[in-house]
Amino acid sequence: MKTNLIKTASKLALVLIPAIFLSIAANAHDPSMHVKKAGKADCSKMDHSKMDMKDPVAIAMMKKCMKQSETDKKSMKNIDHSKMKGMDQSKMKDMDHSKMEKPENKTNQKDAHNH
Amino acid sequence: MKIVKLLLLLTVSGIGVAATVMYSGVVNVAADEPHSDLVYWLLEETRENSIKKAAQVIIVPDLSEPELLLTGGIDYEFMCSSCHLKPGQSESDMSIGLYPTPPNLTLSIEELVGHEHEDDQQASRKSFWVIKHGIKASGMPAWGKTHDDERIWAMVAFIKRLPTLTKEQYQILTAIE
Repeated sequence: MKTNLIKTASKLALVLIPAIFLSIAANAHDPSMHVKKAGKADCSKMDHSKMDMKDPVAIAMMKKCMKQSETDKKSMKNIDHSKMKGMDQSKMKDMDHSKMEKPENKTNQKDAHNH
Repeated sequence: MKIVKLLLLLTVSGIGVAATVMYSGVVNVAADEPHSDLVYWLLEETRENSIKKAAQVIIVPDLSEPELLLTGGIDYEFMCSSCHLKPGQSESDMSIGLYPTPPNLTLSIEELVGHEHEDDQQASRKSFWVIKHGIKASGMPAWGKTHDDERIWAMVAFIKRLPTLTKEQYQILTAIE
């Protein structure tokens, strides 16, 4: 009785294991392909020496990267350090606050692309 | 009188054949089963001539403005790249699954197999018309229903430059600001 059970189980395993592997192979599809990656422009790879500054592509890239760096600078200036956890406020004494932009200059960033 | 009878007979039998084909379900509409060469040729010729005729009156604006590449780039990334691909990509789920296969727009007109070689202005007119009006039963939507002409021309400007773009250039031009 026991041997019959083992035989049946091994037969089932023989059929099921390849079937499972085959079905996994059929679904072996990288889900990340479906994710829209709307990242920021990676301007670090821009080689200015090779760029023809009369080419619309180069001009457009420069515009995009300049705009992005301005936005980044603004967002850095608007960070409220007092609300940061674990920050050593005593070391902030040396900071020159007079050179910092006031919060009213904060700009609302809009999603550039709405569908 | 005989001719009239013959024409009537031909018309009735023509309608009969068409109805039989329609209602019998013998036509395979599966996208993973390609058309026969004859059907494919008939459909493609019909499509190409239709677009050519409809697009001939379109006036192409100046597409050299860099700002157009930024607007068009973002729209291309979100609306077109999944089917028409991006630099460094040779296929996608959509490009494999759709039938007829959407053209790979990262290739230049010379590299595109089965597409008529035409001048720059005509290519721009056709691109504009296809983006705006779409193509029936092909998976190509009519973006003109939700996007104005200015935005569609920006996409045309971007598509014109797409075959010359590197992966890095594409990433910068299509990134969200």
